[in-house]
Amino acid sequence: MPFADLRDFISALERSGDLVRIGQEVDWDLEVGAISRRVFEQGGPALLFERIKDYPNGYAILNGPVGTWRRVAIALDLDPNSSVREIYAAYTERRERKIPQATVSSAPCQEEVMVGPDVDLYRLPAPMVHDGDGGRYIGTWDVVITKDPETGWTNWGMYRFMTHTRNMLVGWPQATSQLALMMKNQFLPHNRAMPIAIAIGCDPLCHMVATDPFKPGESEVEYAGGLRGAAVGLVSCKTHDLMVPAHAEIVIEGEVLPDRIALEGPFGEYPGYRSGTMGEGVLVQVTAVAHRRRPILTLSTLGIPPDDSSIAASLTAATAMKRGLMRRGVPVKEVYVPPEGVTHLVVVSVERGGRQVAQQVLDFFTARRVMVSKVVVVDRDVDAFDMAQVIHAFATKCHPGKGMIVQHYEGRGNALTPCYSAEERRKLNGASVVFDATWPEEWAEEAIPVKASFATTYPESVQEKVRKNWRSYGLGGKA
Amino acid sequence: MKREYVTFVRKISDLAEGRQALFIKDLSPGPRKYDTKLVRAELARRSGEGPDDNVLWIRSETGYLHPQPWTIRILEELPPHVAGQPWQDVFASLKQLK
Repeated sequence: MPFADLRDFISALERSGDLVRIGQEVDWDLEVGAISRRVFEQGGPALLFERIKDYPNGYAILNGPVGTWRRVAIALDLDPNSSVREIYAAYTERRERKIPQATVSSAPCQEEVMVGPDVDLYRLPAPMVHDGDGGRYIGTWDVVITKDPETGWTNWGMYRFMTHTRNMLVGWPQATSQLALMMKNQFLPHNRAMPIAIAIGCDPLCHMVATDPFKPGESEVEYAGGLRGAAVGLVSCKTHDLMVPAHAEIVIEGEVLPDRIALEGPFGEYPGYRSGTMGEGVLVQVTAVAHRRRPILTLSTLGIPPDDSSIAASLTAATAMKRGLMRRGVPVKEVYVPPEGVTHLVVVSVERGGRQVAQQVLDFFTARRVMVSKVVVVDRDVDAFDMAQVIHAFATKCHPGKGMIVQHYEGRGNALTPCYSAEERRKLNGASVVFDATWPEEWAEEAIPVKASFATTYPESVQEKVRKNWRSYGLGGKA
Repeated sequence: MKREYVTFVRKISDLAEGRQALFIKDLSPGPRKYDTKLVRAELARRSGEGPDDNVLWIRSETGYLHPQPWTIRILEELPPHVAGQPWQDVFASLKQLK
């Protein structure tokens, strides 16, 4: 059964022991962030902060809705103990389905509304997440909605937004993001403001879909319906014609201004660093704020993995990458994005390896905007989800002189990659490398080194005998 | 009562003494802490002793906090934005306001 809303999901997390309510008053100014970060780093539960300093009782913050694989499994209504591979498989299968949205006329997210001069963002407990951030980030785990006026396509994405003043936000969708392209192509040439809605505290799968790199023109809300197994109910905004999830906790409506900017950032971002993106964002004039009574603000205290971003993006990015590689004719078997690699590092296993295939893989990852900087290609006998096997293959099969292929690019790199210089990040210049940890195609089978493992160096009859007698040897573990 | 503010610069060397237009965040405690203002102000490296001198903390583009705050005397509060298109460099636009 799909979750009706965030509160329904919170109940499920509580039942499974994956959420802790914190009833003691906590300070939105760094304390919420510090607790949340420490819990992420311990692989701990989602946290519901129920009493926030300076704010009415019942105004709450939820950190880490899908910050562990268990919580992702619960969001997908799977066994919480499902393996990562099983979670990938379920997501991949459901991502093929689309269920159109349902329109509703009234919605929980509009129980309380501030419009025009009454808008006051400081009535919401936006946290100061990390010491040294540029301000209070109200949008860290959100669904940002914009619409192409020409085609009618509605885009859902996840972008950071910071409270600027009582009625203005600043945000930083990357300059190569779909939101940025829509603004640059459809609004800036006409000096028009772009309507925008930022939904906070939705069903967890709506947020997951917002992290999924669907192609322009694809309707994320229909995919969210498919993943949930039920239509997402949408309601019209109060001050423009965008449609937003009716079950959201908070919706901020506004316009991205075409001719005014303000200082945004810096912010401790998903790669695990505050690497200096600042002062090149967008300014939003807020036209309305709608929210449920006793609203719950979703937060992801981003930083070193694991957190919601590294876990969710592992799933959604890998699924999209596998589809893309298959479309390009790469003999891909599996794609794994290890959360520890924060989408900078990707593992691709292939049915057939060699330099040509490695080059094909690199070509895919560098074709357009480039978010991935390191790709390890492994043969099909290596379990891409098992980093011990991946490291072994990389260490032994990637030729230090011939096994790396580097591709440089300009104007489409990842501005958040910490190893890039400040100038490279600002100019979106960068490089990606593929580590070819496969055997060269031209090597004859008899010349390929034989892996010295139980499964590969003993006859089946001996393996069978050993397995059969395992317990009688007095050995524990897997028989 | 003296007030405290913070501003962000790409590098500390970008900041000069004298009259400047800059974005500052008000560090007064309460639910409006970190509210942003764009101001024309007189900046000085010395620690503020005058009655109108307020404390200005400075952070770099990575959020690094410089240990020595400056002094800020606010001359004029401006609308909290500058002219420019999205994704343009705010600091370049700020320079036009001097």
